[in-house]
Amino acid sequence: MRGRRLSLERKKMMAGYVYIAPWAIGFALFMLYPLVYSIWLSFHEVANVGNFELKSVGWDNFNKAFVLDTKFIPLFISVIQDALINTPLILVFSLFISILLNHNIRGRAFFRAAFFLPVLIGSGLAMQQLLYAGVGKDTMVNGIGVPDEVFLYMGPTFSQIVFDMLSRLTVIFWKTGVQILLFLAGLQGISVSLYESARCDGATEWEMFWKITLPLMTPIILLNLVYTCVDSFTDINNRMMVYIKDTAFTNIEMGYASSMGWIYFLFIFLLLVLVFVSTRRLVVYTGEK
Amino acid sequence: MKSIPASKAKPRLAALAEASVRGKAAAAIRNNTVINRIGSKSRWVGFIYRLFVYLILIDLAFVFLYPFIYMTTTALKQPADLMDFTIKWIPTSLAWENFYYGMKGLQFWTHFNNSALIAVASVVGQVLSCSFIAYGFARIKFPGREVLFVLCMFTMIIPPQTIIVPLFMQYKTMGWLDSVLPLVIPSFFGNGLRGALFIFIFRQLFRGLPWELEDAARVDGCGSFRVYWKIIMPLTPPAIVVTTLLSLVWHWNDFFEPSIYLTSEEKFTLPMMLPRLYQSLDTLTGSTFEVFSLPVVMAATFVSLLPMLLVYLFLQRYFIQGVERSGLVE
Repeated sequence: MRGRRLSLERKKMMAGYVYIAPWAIGFALFMLYPLVYSIWLSFHEVANVGNFELKSVGWDNFNKAFVLDTKFIPLFISVIQDALINTPLILVFSLFISILLNHNIRGRAFFRAAFFLPVLIGSGLAMQQLLYAGVGKDTMVNGIGVPDEVFLYMGPTFSQIVFDMLSRLTVIFWKTGVQILLFLAGLQGISVSLYESARCDGATEWEMFWKITLPLMTPIILLNLVYTCVDSFTDINNRMMVYIKDTAFTNIEMGYASSMGWIYFLFIFLLLVLVFVSTRRLVVYTGEK
Repeated sequence: MKSIPASKAKPRLAALAEASVRGKAAAAIRNNTVINRIGSKSRWVGFIYRLFVYLILIDLAFVFLYPFIYMTTTALKQPADLMDFTIKWIPTSLAWENFYYGMKGLQFWTHFNNSALIAVASVVGQVLSCSFIAYGFARIKFPGREVLFVLCMFTMIIPPQTIIVPLFMQYKTMGWLDSVLPLVIPSFFGNGLRGALFIFIFRQLFRGLPWELEDAARVDGCGSFRVYWKIIMPLTPPAIVVTTLLSLVWHWNDFFEPSIYLTSEEKFTLPMMLPRLYQSLDTLTGSTFEVFSLPVVMAATFVSLLPMLLVYLFLQRYFIQGVERSGLVE
């Protein structure tokens, strides 16, 4: 009896592995093997492009990245700077929009659809065509309704700064579609009874936001934070990404490209570990999970 | 409340005092007045608040819709309208021929077929494989499950650039270069563009489903595959819609991988033709000024996004509900 039961359980366990198998095969073929190979490659140099002859160079590629290459470190810093500026902006903005959208307003379906639409363009070639055509430049200024006259009074330098800032904000805001959607879903999940009882106790909207909405949204804020970070660091248009791609396929320095890829990857990994560790106490989980 | 004049407050206070003596009926009156007072105050505040909400939303919706508005209006302009700075939005006459030249410049149907093949095959692959894998992660207990799941999520943060060189060489030895295989096959193994995210979405939904359904089916002699296919899958439209739309849009717009693996032009995806448009239009229309081809380029950009727009319009309602119901954010 006992033996049979064990084998049943084992059978079920084996079923688990069967379900995971496709992922494991895909992971081994398309992730793990290339990852390991790229570590190996990062210590080598392509000596002969024709028959792909490799030559071991030790730590030279890493040395090149940090010491010899004058482009790598400034690029790296600028990419980090971009992420540091964009991520909080995206999070605050998308939370703000989703709270507005969560009101019982007319045309809610329209607004929700509208805020997701830029995701359809993505950041691919279609978006680049649009930016090339000058779409990002005056959108925010026109959209927010700043009249041209205001810029005349500000003087050319200052107005240029404001103009650039606003057009940059526009492009950042277009990336918030997924985040708005996730926040909205989270807001829908907060029980109305919490707000009702708070209102009975005389809480204002402002207090309710800080004491109810924000704490209950922390798991989703974390989710969005991670999503935004990953999204901005692995974005194809990210200058770092373009640089690595050009090094690999235009300059045919595949070894060097791999080592830069690894430095970059390790940085993202450490950053996310830091995010998870530092937000551990701040995130409020409800329920018994 | 402070703003209520004393003369008005007095009778109310008197009424309150009287009411407290009369008991139950009085309590009702008191409640009534309190509610009225709050109501009249918050009606104004509420109105102004609402006005602001609408203003901000309409304002920002414009910012978000701007690319589409710009694209459509510019696509319909004639070169003369483009040069005339008094015409911002509405062209004097609709230049439909821009779309004709745009589609011709893109060689629309050839590349639409390429794009559609890659995107649809990847979507089918990801929906099937990610749900299958997620079922294992969500509903079956086996040793090492948590570790493997963390590993799976971990693949999301690997920048494509880190592994692109080895992958390129791997596909070269497999003879997959310049075909759709490197773009489609990984999707059938739970990889592909953000496959891990879709596994996560399906797992979240599966975890929330009641066990009773599955137990009942098992008692009736269902194997785990039949449970997955006949019982769990029919309950997952929200996750399927979310995965389908996101995967479709991301694969459609992706140009990094196709631009590396595809080398001959007749196999290019539709968005990959966009940067070449300025040159191909010069030969097509004979004009050499970049400015004049702008409406045609916008028409082509619009056409290249149109399939996604149509799919989104069709799926939009289910999509937003899907995100809310799939337990994605719990």
